[in-house]
Amino acid sequence: MRIKRSLQAAALIAAAVLLGLFTVQGTYALWNATAVATPGTVSAASFDMVLTPGTGQATTMTLSNGTAATVALSPNGTLGPGTPVHGALVVTNDTNAGGQFNTVITAGTPAVANVNGGTLAGYISVSGKLAATTAECGNATGYLGIGTGLASLPVAKTASAIFCFQVSLNPGAPTSVKGQAVNITLPLTARQCGVSGGC
Amino acid sequence: MKNSTLIKGTAAIAVGAALLLGGGGTLANWNAEATTAPGTIVAGDLNVAKTAAGVWKDRAGTVIPDINNYKVVPGDKLTFTQDLTVTLVGNKMAADVSTTGITATNGFTSANVSVSAPALTVGSAPVANPLKPTVSAQTVTATITFEFLSSTTGRADTTASYNFNNVAFQLTQVTQPGLS
Repeated sequence: MRIKRSLQAAALIAAAVLLGLFTVQGTYALWNATAVATPGTVSAASFDMVLTPGTGQATTMTLSNGTAATVALSPNGTLGPGTPVHGALVVTNDTNAGGQFNTVITAGTPAVANVNGGTLAGYISVSGKLAATTAECGNATGYLGIGTGLASLPVAKTASAIFCFQVSLNPGAPTSVKGQAVNITLPLTARQCGVSGGC
Repeated sequence: MKNSTLIKGTAAIAVGAALLLGGGGTLANWNAEATTAPGTIVAGDLNVAKTAAGVWKDRAGTVIPDINNYKVVPGDKLTFTQDLTVTLVGNKMAADVSTTGITATNGFTSANVSVSAPALTVGSAPVANPLKPTVSAQTVTATITFEFLSSTTGRADTTASYNFNNVAFQLTQVTQPGLS
């Protein structure tokens, strides 16, 4: 009886050892070797476009809370018949992308709304152009109607596009619009282009 | 009684002398010997090792010196290659090389990235397991691709990160005819 118990215990221990070997080593037999690579971490770039008005504070196109920023352009003077006013906006591609990252910035169709009533909006036209310097905005030549949009050329990393906007008053505007004001809103969008295809 | 003791003593001396003579081994009959040299048994070898750090390249094949300083944008496609030196020595040696895959920490939206499983090649041909010993160590290249899909919209996944952690490559001997 004692011998039988001893045999049973020995068999149990042997089975446990074998099971342990198979579990821990996995292969139990034949050689094997392992090498480990650490490719590292791939990180995505930021998509930051900085808007800098001719006068005023610069801001990112998208605020930290994810909403779109609003930039106020102050006209260079007082609007009157035959005396248009203009403003400049510099849009800078401020991404930290590792490779190529071109963007196209588009100014959309402007919307003109009267402030506190009035009829001034009906006599306002907005035009735009792209310039090499903000000083060129003061040159009346080259302005065209924005229509459905005014798009920049591809803007590379750290480069900028300069938009000039001009507001003109219809020469036929009645004197009743004197002293009236309008709000002009104009959407800007930036689109990535050129990584795996053309812009 | 005295004679009996003398006889016993003499017999013991005679037996001892006979044993001594027998132990010498040269006193009688021819004998010869020959020597054989079985030689030295040398074990083979099996190993897989990185000889250098892996290399990241962009879509144009430009080397990225430090992936930690490179920021991807939608449309980027990066390729990581890791050369492995496989040593196989042994007349009946054969081994399978395999990868344990990628257990990454993915901070991207899954639909916006495409990450391949490690592909193993020898030269430009896919690995044909089992590998057999060659004259010199073999170079097996593991390739992983990471693509930030250009279908990504809005500002999705800006500043996201994808940590590959460890990718292991295992070389395991496989039995051949003649081995138990």
